[in-house]
Amino acid sequence: MLLQVENLRMHLHLRRGVLQAVDGINLHVAEGETLGLVGESGSGKTLTGLSLLRLLPKGSGRIESGSIRLDGQELTTLPEAELARDIRGRRIAMIMQDPMTSLNPVFSIGDQVGGPLRNHDIARGTALRSAVVDVLKRVRIPSPEDRLGDYPHQFSGGQRQRIVAAMAIGCTPRLLVADEPTTALDVTIQVQIIALLRQIQHDQGVGIILITHDLGVAASLCRRIAVMYAGQIVETGPVRAIYRSPSHPYTQALLAAIPRLHSKRTRLAAIPGQPPSLIDPPSGCRFAARCPMRMDQCAAPPPTVDLGDGHSAACWKLAN
Amino acid sequence: MLELAGITKHYRTRNGVVRAVEDVSFTVPPKGTMALVGESGCGKTTIAKIILQLERPISGTVRFEGADIATMSRAALHAYRRQVAAVFQDPYSSLNPRLRVHRIIAEPILAHERPGRAALDKRIAEVLDIVGLPATAATLYPHEFSGGQRQRIAIARALALQPRLMVLDEPVSALDVSIRAQVLNLLQDIQAEFGLTYLIIAHDLALVEHFSSDVAVIYLGRVAESGPTEPVFANPRHPYTQALLAAVPLPDPDHVLSETAATGEIASALNPPSGCRFHPRCPHVFAPCPATVPPAYPAGAGHHVACHLLKDSPA
Amino acid sequence: MRASWLPEWARGLPWLPLLVLAAVGLCAAIGEDMFPFDPNQLDLSAAFRPPAWQEKGSLLNPLGADNLGRDILSRIMAGSRVSVIVCFYAILFSGGIGALAGMIAGYFGGIVDAVLMRLIEIQQSIPAIALALILAAALEPGLSTVVVVIVLTYWAWYARIIRGEIIALKGRDYIAFARVAGVGTATIFVRHLLPNIFNTLVVLATLQVGQVILFEASLSFLGLGIQQPDISWGLMLADARQYITNAWWAITMPGIAIMLTCLSANVFGDWLRDRLDPKLRQL
Ligand SMILES: Nc1ncnc2c1ncn2[C@@H]1O[C@H](COP(=O)(O)OP(=O)(O)OP(=O)(O)O)[C@@H](O)[C@H]1O
Ligand SMILES: Nc1ncnc2c1ncn2[C@@H]1O[C@H](COP(=O)(O)OP(=O)(O)OP(=O)(O)O)[C@@H](O)[C@H]1O
Ligand SMILES: [Mg+2]
Ligand SMILES: [Mg+2]
Repeated sequence: MLLQVENLRMHLHLRRGVLQAVDGINLHVAEGETLGLVGESGSGKTLTGLSLLRLLPKGSGRIESGSIRLDGQELTTLPEAELARDIRGRRIAMIMQDPMTSLNPVFSIGDQVGGPLRNHDIARGTALRSAVVDVLKRVRIPSPEDRLGDYPHQFSGGQRQRIVAAMAIGCTPRLLVADEPTTALDVTIQVQIIALLRQIQHDQGVGIILITHDLGVAASLCRRIAVMYAGQIVETGPVRAIYRSPSHPYTQALLAAIPRLHSKRTRLAAIPGQPPSLIDPPSGCRFAARCPMRMDQCAAPPPTVDLGDGHSAACWKLAN
Repeated sequence: MLELAGITKHYRTRNGVVRAVEDVSFTVPPKGTMALVGESGCGKTTIAKIILQLERPISGTVRFEGADIATMSRAALHAYRRQVAAVFQDPYSSLNPRLRVHRIIAEPILAHERPGRAALDKRIAEVLDIVGLPATAATLYPHEFSGGQRQRIAIARALALQPRLMVLDEPVSALDVSIRAQVLNLLQDIQAEFGLTYLIIAHDLALVEHFSSDVAVIYLGRVAESGPTEPVFANPRHPYTQALLAAVPLPDPDHVLSETAATGEIASALNPPSGCRFHPRCPHVFAPCPATVPPAYPAGAGHHVACHLLKDSPA
Repeated sequence: MRASWLPEWARGLPWLPLLVLAAVGLCAAIGEDMFPFDPNQLDLSAAFRPPAWQEKGSLLNPLGADNLGRDILSRIMAGSRVSVIVCFYAILFSGGIGALAGMIAGYFGGIVDAVLMRLIEIQQSIPAIALALILAAALEPGLSTVVVVIVLTYWAWYARIIRGEIIALKGRDYIAFARVAGVGTATIFVRHLLPNIFNTLVVLATLQVGQVILFEASLSFLGLGIQQPDISWGLMLADARQYITNAWWAITMPGIAIMLTCLSANVFGDWLRDRLDPKLRQL
């Protein structure tokens, strides 16, 4: 297994209280596999991705328990220096949520795409230049040789996202964490980035964790899906199982709440209420307050029920 | 009910003239829901601002029930403002953080009439009730509400004057997936109950198909295709509409995305392509496309397509 | 430490700065008759008397005496009146005129904005001291001249900053909504613009307190401001400057008064700004 995350808990110690942003997460990604991490805003997707690299919010973030193993190597106990040298940007790369803030406006893109290659001592001098040209070609920036000296603002939004992707794949990472790589883009450009991610995966066999709140993007790109709600994974399984036979009431509700293209116009099934605060969340099932199938048992933490074929969900209803 | 004819708006900027909206015409039918769709920067918000009189077009007219809003008298304009309300995208910037909800909702009412304290309180409680908030919400400040609740307050404020036309600029894009359905359903219920006309701006095509009765697809400031939502979505005739629809990833693992429907990038409104603005990205481009701007060819009941391909094969 | 017996609104008040400001205010408010000494009383036997804690000091002049034997503490207390009056009027008028100009320029834009911006540029290109000299020649030197000079110097500073804020605020959707709903311009100014620039005004005003006091001091020093026998901190500084080597206290004590007052005003202003922001109020 490329990546194996067990019972990961990452809390933020804020002045307001302890925010349980990532609370007991289990995940695994095989080589060349795409796992979709879906969930609504504030459910802890980005912080889960950052926790894998131990890039925690300064001062407040702390990994409380759990293990993260990359190719069998434990990352939670790895010294910081080793993590920076061998893991971050090298074996695990990340495409950040906002392409505008991942690129520094005052450096040329040649410098920025070459940065990780230089830092990890992969290439120098003319080899570096040709490596940068090569990786920009792979993300389909037209005539990259002539554009190495250009600055981020001279590229369109879609091209900027490609450049961010080029920075991430330059060092041929084993795992790529892509945080909402298409959210800021228009649909016709989004298609191109989806195709690019597919191609990267096909050519390099990297494992991808795709973080998104768009169930359409997740369906088009992922082999497996993990549905996150309020800091926890409520359901995980093969993409078909999740979309065709969702088992957790939250997944069901989410799929019923989105309007779909080319389907009959029916009233959307809204989910009442709103997600709980992650400071002092309910001790039992965190979805219980909004769940149409709520029972008395839901006041206790629900067990994770194995539904076969790698499909599992954390719900009392399924346990009975 | 609302009729736009030949609306053009350019912005002068340091880098040149931004041709934000160019010769846009459409009609919003009474009690219907007209949707404007298109990619970022295509001019949707600019059109809304022109209708709301926040911007003046450089040419073209907006008619509300037959009257040109540019030449209205002060009194007529005041009356127009009473009948047209707006809900904006960002639930954070659309409510003044320093005012209590009571004051926020009272504002449009007090701009038009002088109800007594008790009557005002009653009206406010009523609209809060319509949007599903308790009357006690009136005493709180906006920051004490979630994004979805703020959008409800914005809708309540828009409803306070019992408008007839509501302009909704991306009313749910800033909201969470699970909250969007709540707000969309609420808007539909309100429309059914009060017989409102909506003009909604969105970039989510599934939402538009679900929500609207009529649609105008806009590309770089020009209407590419317009008509009743059903035929436009079921049988899109403009290559841009086709590309847009093909590019939407469906929440269905068996759906295969076409990766070739539209290549390249959206051109800049500073320097839009000649002729048909979509031609550099169009898979069917041919001789007349870069040369002349295609007129809106009819393609069935109310369905219009601005594409040279339709010249010889109408409807 | 949190004083739980205090009412909620008073918790975390910056007590020390408030105390200083209150003391300055009090001194300005009560008459000179209440002071331990007449601040203008000469006593040549006490000339250059050092502060009480020094050798040869006396409790009769706790902070020492100046070259003419006048009690420094009493003079500082008396000088606070000029500082308070000048600050009050200067800030009121420069803030008021500047904010109004900035709001109008920012909100209406176009030609109004262009004209006002040119005016501001012209104003800012005239050195304040040159302006003071011209005005002092035209008017009579004194307290009101000081105020006029400061207002003419500072209104542009307010106007420029407020204009920027208003341009940002104008883009807010709630302003757009108010215009769409037919809310009058006056209401938009009073309900939406003014409360939202209030914080900025408070901060600018507190920043200005220090500058006004210093400005008044330099004008008085140049003989263009407060005239003897009126007392101001700036005038005290100017008077004591030539004796700095043999009577350090004569210049240091009013200097400390100026510093403490400016610092207190800034700390208090910061606290007030945090306090006025309803978003921060919850935390
Ligand atoms: N640096 C931080 N300090 C304090 N709280 C934070 C910080 N970063 C995130 N949070 C909080 O942690 C929770 C999870 O945040 P996270 O960014 O992981 O959500 P997300 O699922 O990525 O959401 P989105 O879809 O909006 O990006 C949220 O409640 C957020 O407010
Ligand atoms: N005040 C302005 N000054 C200059 N250019 C402007 C101004 N407002 C809008 N534009 C430009 O006009 C074009 C249309 O903008 P508009 O906001 O109407 O787009 P939109 O379709 O609403 O986009 P989005 O989906 O991103 O909201 C864009 O190119 C934009 O940069
Ligand atoms: Mg995120
Ligand atoms: Mg817009």
